[in-house]
Amino acid sequence: MKEDKKMKIEVRDARSEDLKPFLGLIERMKRLNGEFDPLYTIDEDKRSDAEKFYGNCIGDTQNYIVIVAEFNKNIVGVLKAEIRKRVYYNPDREARIIDLYIMPEFRRKKVGAALLDYFYLKLNKIGISIVTAEFPALNLIALNFYKKIGYRNIGSIFGTTIDGKKGR
Amino acid sequence: MQDEERTKKFNDLSVKYSQFYKGKIMVLPKVPINTLSDFSYWYTPGVAEVSRRIAADSDLSFDLTGRWNSVAILTDGTRVLGIGNVGPEAAMPVMEGKSMIFNYLGGVNAVPIPIRTKTKEEFITVAKALEPSFGGYNLEDIESPKCFYILRELQKELTIPAWHDDQLGTACIILAGIINSLKLSGKHIEDARVVFIGSGAANIAASNLLISAGFKPGNLILVDSKGILEPERDDIDSLMINNPWKYELSLSTNAERKKGGIPEALAGADIVVSASKSDPNTIKPQWIKRMNDYPVIFALANPVPEIWPHVAKEGGAKIVATGRGDFPNQINNSLVFPGVFRGVLDARAKGVNFSIMVKASYEIANFVSELDDDNIVPKMTDTDLYPQVASAVAKATSDEGLARRNGSKKMFYDIARDIIEENRRIFRKLMDDKLIRNLPGEEQ
Repeated sequence: MKEDKKMKIEVRDARSEDLKPFLGLIERMKRLNGEFDPLYTIDEDKRSDAEKFYGNCIGDTQNYIVIVAEFNKNIVGVLKAEIRKRVYYNPDREARIIDLYIMPEFRRKKVGAALLDYFYLKLNKIGISIVTAEFPALNLIALNFYKKIGYRNIGSIFGTTIDGKKGR
Repeated sequence: MQDEERTKKFNDLSVKYSQFYKGKIMVLPKVPINTLSDFSYWYTPGVAEVSRRIAADSDLSFDLTGRWNSVAILTDGTRVLGIGNVGPEAAMPVMEGKSMIFNYLGGVNAVPIPIRTKTKEEFITVAKALEPSFGGYNLEDIESPKCFYILRELQKELTIPAWHDDQLGTACIILAGIINSLKLSGKHIEDARVVFIGSGAANIAASNLLISAGFKPGNLILVDSKGILEPERDDIDSLMINNPWKYELSLSTNAERKKGGIPEALAGADIVVSASKSDPNTIKPQWIKRMNDYPVIFALANPVPEIWPHVAKEGGAKIVATGRGDFPNQINNSLVFPGVFRGVLDARAKGVNFSIMVKASYEIANFVSELDDDNIVPKMTDTDLYPQVASAVAKATSDEGLARRNGSKKMFYDIARDIIEENRRIFRKLMDDKLIRNLPGEEQ
């Protein structure tokens, strides 16, 4: 994959037949998360659960948006977002990007931008104007990526393991 | 004598001589001292004027002090020779040895400085703080990938050359050997397919140097303990985080997108450069048969190469190089760093880069006058090699705009030759007058 000029990336909604290659990319991303924090360590025995979950996400277009980027019939990028209720707030819905992964060879080639363009178009059509993204706090690559495209920090998630700990 | 027996003998002698000499280097004044009044200009009050002038122009420190010929050998002792992370104190004997070679072959005053630092940032802070005392830095025996980060940052931040010999010195001599191998095989840089077995400091630097020399990135393949580097490997994102240098090569090399291990990598290769584990079964002779005609094998692990030279030849290899002096074609950093440092010091260099290194490699390659399969690189006893390399490096530094002192190749050759010869005369005199004592057991 050397000829960038000829690189034609197609971005589209994920289909059920995409599930296997889609999961391959998701597993890479989850493994990458594990590089940043042991709380994100993947369990390879849970692949069938993941298959069920993401299969459901692809089918449930009311609650999830799942998009793929394709090159030469191969899936080279994925984006999965959840539509979330914002109780008490206005607007009352947001789309949260949980999974965004691009194969290394296709990075720095605007595949991420193509996925986001398609994603934003879909959000416009369903009237969602707020987008958030979730990623490990130590993932500086993701942090810099989202900052670069205009996202800002609007909250934090803190975590711990509770083995032997007291609540104070 | 068997290898193990010979190694034990050298180990025992090394300890015995270290106890006897208590270190390998010393500091000696190089100015005449006849009476105490001489101190009035070598030291206070006269020396204050020298300090004032340097305070007004810090580059004068290269002309009015020994900075022009001083190099720091900096290490944290995290990857010392084949013995690993032994710490800074234990690294000192090795650094002293390096200093001795620097002086003997290049006429360079190299000061061993093993430092106790925990992080790469701490190492960089110390190195930056020491910069005013030296004309160059030789980084040594620092674990990978920390060494890449430290070198990159120091090359960016310092106004003197920073060199990591395990990366750059090895890369230079590998390139020199490859240049001459290609001459013998009649092949060309732009077509040559090179496989690197092992993706540590030396091979990563060598890959990048080859690319700077005109090799096509796609014609290179790197293999590590997990197999061939390629963009779809499962650990690719881990590499991106933990070893971006290896990650970048995973994307830019291996245009065929080969997967697998060493045998798959060797199919269709012209040259193999192995800097891997010290095990003679790492490269199997039957895999050499998969290579293109005129196979070239550099098996550089020490003390035992990845394939014994006679086994490689039986497998069809035409040229075999190792890291050892008891076989033909020794790929040895000592053919590089004394001349390179002589050159950058003589040019009062502000830095060193791949373009200068490529020039050094060609100078080393072209030094070999009677080229054949068993003579692709010079020998350490070729004393004229060092001023030749120094002059090529100094001239290239000047051409690159990185020199504080500019001049012709001839001018730099004369300077380097005179310094090295004078240094050797002093050393020889000390030996002849027994001021450097004979080895214990050889006194007479």
